Formats: sequence, C-alpha cells, structure tokens
Amino acid sequence: MVCVSSKAKIKGVIERVPRMKEKKENIDILLQRNATEQMAGVGWDELNAAILKTLDEAERSRACARRYKAVFKVAAGIIAAAAVVFIAVIVNTGVPPVVQFENRGNVVVKLIDKKGVDAIEIKLAESKARVMVDIETDQRKLAKVDVEIIDRNGQRKENDSRPAWIIISRPEPVFADNGINRDEIDLICLM
Amino acid sequence: MNNDQKAEICDIERLVKASQAKDRSAFDELVRLYQRRVMHLAVRILGDADEASEAVQTGFVKAYLGIGKLKEPKRFEIWLLRIVANAATSQLRAVKRRAEKIKIAGSHKDKKMVSPVEREPAKELKEAIQQAMLKLPKKQAQAISLFGLDDLSHKEVAEIMGCSIEVVRWYVFRARQKLKVLLKEYLE
Repeated sequence: MVCVSSKAKIKGVIERVPRMKEKKENIDILLQRNATEQMAGVGWDELNAAILKTLDEAERSRACARRYKAVFKVAAGIIAAAAVVFIAVIVNTGVPPVVQFENRGNVVVKLIDKKGVDAIEIKLAESKARVMVDIETDQRKLAKVDVEIIDRNGQRKENDSRPAWIIISRPEPVFADNGINRDEIDLICLM
Repeated sequence: MNNDQKAEICDIERLVKASQAKDRSAFDELVRLYQRRVMHLAVRILGDADEASEAVQTGFVKAYLGIGKLKEPKRFEIWLLRIVANAATSQLRAVKRRAEKIKIAGSHKDKKMVSPVEREPAKELKEAIQQAMLKLPKKQAQAISLFGLDDLSHKEVAEIMGCSIEVVRWYVFRARQKLKVLLKEYLE
C-alpha cells in the first residue's frame, strides 16, 4: 500500500511539473546568459586544434598498446608452449635418479613399465651386492625412489624398522649374458 | 525537415560510416561540425569554458575510440551528446574534489572577503553557477543542461539520458527548484 501511495504521489507531482520547453523561467535565462558569456570567449580554432591533438595522442597510444599486446601475446604463447613441452618431458621421460653408495659406486634406477612391478631396471650395479629399492607410495613417483645396498650376506638388519619386504624377480635375466650373477642382480626388494 | 537538413544528415551518416572504417579525416570533420554543440552542453553542465574544453576533448576521444561500436550512424548526435554529458559530469566531480582539496589546504581567499568593487560580475556568476551545479545530483545537472540546448526535443533528451520523458521532466523540475534557491541573489 505504501508503494502504491508513493507511486501515486510521484505521479501527481510529475503531472504538476510544467512542460519545460513551453515556458522559460528566470533560472533558465540566467544559465543561458552564463553559457553565452562563456562561449563568447572560446577560441574555436584553438579548441579544434586541441581536440585533434588529443585525438592524435589517443591514436598513438592505441597503436602502441596494440603493438605491445601483440608482442605480449606472442611471448605468452612461447612461454606456454615451452611450459607444456617441459611438463610433457618431465612426465614422459623422467630423469633416472643416480644414487651414490658408500664404497659401492652408482646405481641408476629407471622406470621402464609403469604398469607392473617389473618396472625397475638396474642399469648399472658395480658390485655384486643385491640392490634394495624403496618405492614409498607410487611407482610413478620416480624421484622418490631410494636405493641402498644391504649387507653382502643378504641378511636384513636387526634394527630395520621397515614393516614389510617384497622381493621382486625380473622375468628375463637381462644381465646374465654380461657375466653378472643373475641371482644377485635380479633380486630387488621393495618396501 | 527541409532538403538541406536531409542532405546534412546523409552527410553525417556518411562521415560516421567512414570514421567507423578508420578514416581519421572523416572523424576530424565530425569534430568540426559538432564541437560548438557539445561545447555548449559542456559549458552548461560545468559553467566554465576552460573546464568544458577539457570535457569536450575527453568526450571526443571516447567517441573516436568507441565509434566502431555505434550501430546506428544516424543516431551519432544523440550518442555523442551522451558521451560528452557523462564526460562533463565526471569533470564536474573532479572540480568538486579539487575545490575540496583547496578548502582543506586552507585557502584564505574566501569569496566573502573580496570587496564588491573587485568583483567581476561575469566571473562571479560563473563561479556561483559552477558551485550550484556541483550541489545538484548528476542526473539533474545533465537534465537541466540538456534542456537548455536549442532544438533538442524532449524525446531526444530522454534518449540521451536513457530514461523516460516524464522522469527527465521531474529531474529538470527538481534542478530548477534547487538552483532557484542556490542562485537566489542573482535572480533578483
């Protein structure tokens, strides 16, 4: 009801408002007088020149902005492409971690098949010691693979707190032809 | 509408279309044709030619950068007047902020301290109108200024302001009421 009455009130006021162009009031004449006085002092050629100059500047700024925009787009495209390539390389061809062993040389561990446990390849094992590979949670997390060599006699250390051991044997004796003892090279322990 | 007016409208449409096709000289011609009209509007809103000149320049730059978006070239004048009215209103707010800063900075040049002998009537009226316009809401300032432009119909003013004719009349009515109070001493 309040809304309706307000609307009616406003409508009533609007209807009472006289038609503007029909009658010039003193205030209109005063405003017009000031406008005429102000306009009389305007240098139209100077104003025109100032407007055209401002337009020139605006045009230059726009052209400059467009050029920078194009350069920025190209640069952003190159960076994005490089990032995509880098991520693809990291995901697909992970760098095999090289682990240094005390008095045992280096062992390189590389994932060659992500699907099964037969995913670990011993590229180089200088000693005859067995190699134990610790994959913490997921085989795909190559960087987290930790390799260490257990005692030469193959016994688990007494103080070892690791909860479980899994012994994986490679299906093919890849290194057997090289004269390396297969039993020693193919036994891999995962925890 | 006589033949001359029709020819002029066709000419303006042609210039607008050329401007939309990135013809700078066509837009320069539009500037030459409309600068007096938009200056008149800006002066009416701002009360001062120098301030109005800045608003007109800003308005023309905005129009130049946005002319590609104008769908109906024959409505160029309405569109341009709207841009300039908005630019002038923004300028009015800038003038207000500047005046407040000067006031805060502790200007001792109070109008009342100037002796009547030193007063220039035209300058004084200009400043009084500017101060009065600063006290009006944006829409009221625009409405009363647009109504002061000759040969602009009620419908055109409503189109420029983006509201109905009745609402425009209401704005003008309120603006007049306020200005009569604020400029009382100049009306007597």
